[in-house]
Amino acid sequence: MAIRKQIYTWELHGDGGDGSSLVNYPRAGESHSILWGPYGNVQAGRQTGLIKENEFVVIEKIASTPGISANSFQITGVAPNRQLTTWRPNMFINLVIDTTNYYQDPQNVWASGVSGTASPYPQMTIDEPYYDLWPPVYVLPHQTVDIRYTLFNDIQLSAAAGSWDIIPQETIMAAVYVEYTLYDGTDAMMAQKLLQVGIPVTVGTIENYRRLLLEQKGLETDTFQHYLKLMESERERKKKEDKNQGVARYTKYGDGE
Amino acid sequence: MSLRRQCYEWRNIVESAGDTVFLNGYPVNWTGNVDTVGFAANQPVDIFVGGIGNNIDIPGQLKAYQYVVIDAVAVYPPTLHAQIYVNTTKYFQDPDNVPSRNGGISGFTAPFPQGASFVTTAGSIVNIMNYDFKDGLKPAIIIQPGQNWGVEVTSSVAVPSIANTATGNQINKCFVKYLLIDGADAIVARRLLDAGWPLSVENVWKYKQDIIRSHLYAGLAPLPEEVSEAKRKV
Repeated sequence: MAIRKQIYTWELHGDGGDGSSLVNYPRAGESHSILWGPYGNVQAGRQTGLIKENEFVVIEKIASTPGISANSFQITGVAPNRQLTTWRPNMFINLVIDTTNYYQDPQNVWASGVSGTASPYPQMTIDEPYYDLWPPVYVLPHQTVDIRYTLFNDIQLSAAAGSWDIIPQETIMAAVYVEYTLYDGTDAMMAQKLLQVGIPVTVGTIENYRRLLLEQKGLETDTFQHYLKLMESERERKKKEDKNQGVARYTKYGDGE
Repeated sequence: MSLRRQCYEWRNIVESAGDTVFLNGYPVNWTGNVDTVGFAANQPVDIFVGGIGNNIDIPGQLKAYQYVVIDAVAVYPPTLHAQIYVNTTKYFQDPDNVPSRNGGISGFTAPFPQGASFVTTAGSIVNIMNYDFKDGLKPAIIIQPGQNWGVEVTSSVAVPSIANTATGNQINKCFVKYLLIDGADAIVARRLLDAGWPLSVENVWKYKQDIIRSHLYAGLAPLPEEVSEAKRKV
């Protein structure tokens, strides 16, 4: 399984309380990681994404919960049992490779990223994304990748405003979706090779490169002769070049040179 | 990261009632505290430095090693229009060659988000789709190093200020998406423009492939005979 399409989703659910918890919900305006941050269903090890030396990652899509106004929430029931069913987090997501933020604003400084309104998750028929992560983002071996979200609608202050009584655990307060292709093993090596020669790293180009390599496996006599001739002519050319540049020595070419 | 798909989103929201602008980011709001800033009909508002909603400190200006390809702009509500400008030139113009009097492309044509709901005068709710400019402006707008650029929004009806109670569809929005080309890729972009090629991700990639290929071939090719067979001069 050397080429695998991967998805990673992060979700922040209600805690069954009234929403005032500082432990279970992030404050608005703060940036947190979906991989190792203190909120939501992050990875158990709480580690940022480190790409191993035999891996190559191409991030193709990032999306998050849409919605802007905190007033566009929905509840069911009556006081004192009003349950929050829909919440608009007004969230943005950013990609961070090592120490570099992907998104910057027109004055060339750090920006919050792309909003859930521009790139929504889940995607509904009336909610088509405007934003498309093209070209995709390559994460090379030994680089770290992090995906950070920022909510701009404050859950605790909204809870204090008394608009609901309970946030049930079924209510999704915020979510992030990341889609990427993981190349590992020999495919990661091929990805590196394609990168070196400026060819985009896609499933198609890797498979094509693999086909080319397999075609060359087990050289025919004619092919061997062809490469031998090429190498000989290259050696001859190098010899002439050294001679012209004055770097040829008799120890290399014998007394006759 | 020299080819990056960037976006900028403007809303006429502020942090507190009475504010007109929020600089360098987005304001924090909560239920019962979502305030919008009103502006007059037919009054152009710069989404970067117009003094209304979320702004940045300085207008968009490209550095010597940057190119920007603006490929999409969208607005909401449908009565809002967006006009892209580069230095002193405005993109959308009327047939008499005067900059668009409406203020550019409207939210009826390019709604944000795609499928945004709109209440008609008859009271029914419809979802507006962007079919004509779904893939952005063709050809895209290219901003060159040193040029100023920005987007102005103009509403054909007066936009009222709303204290505390603004909901999603009462917020005026403008979204602009662009490709930022910087660093070594900006040099490639310059070469492409000089040769008359459209500035796209694929063309930048292709040009770089050609450079690498020609370098590889240059390394393999034998020297011309007049060089390889020439007598040593020293």
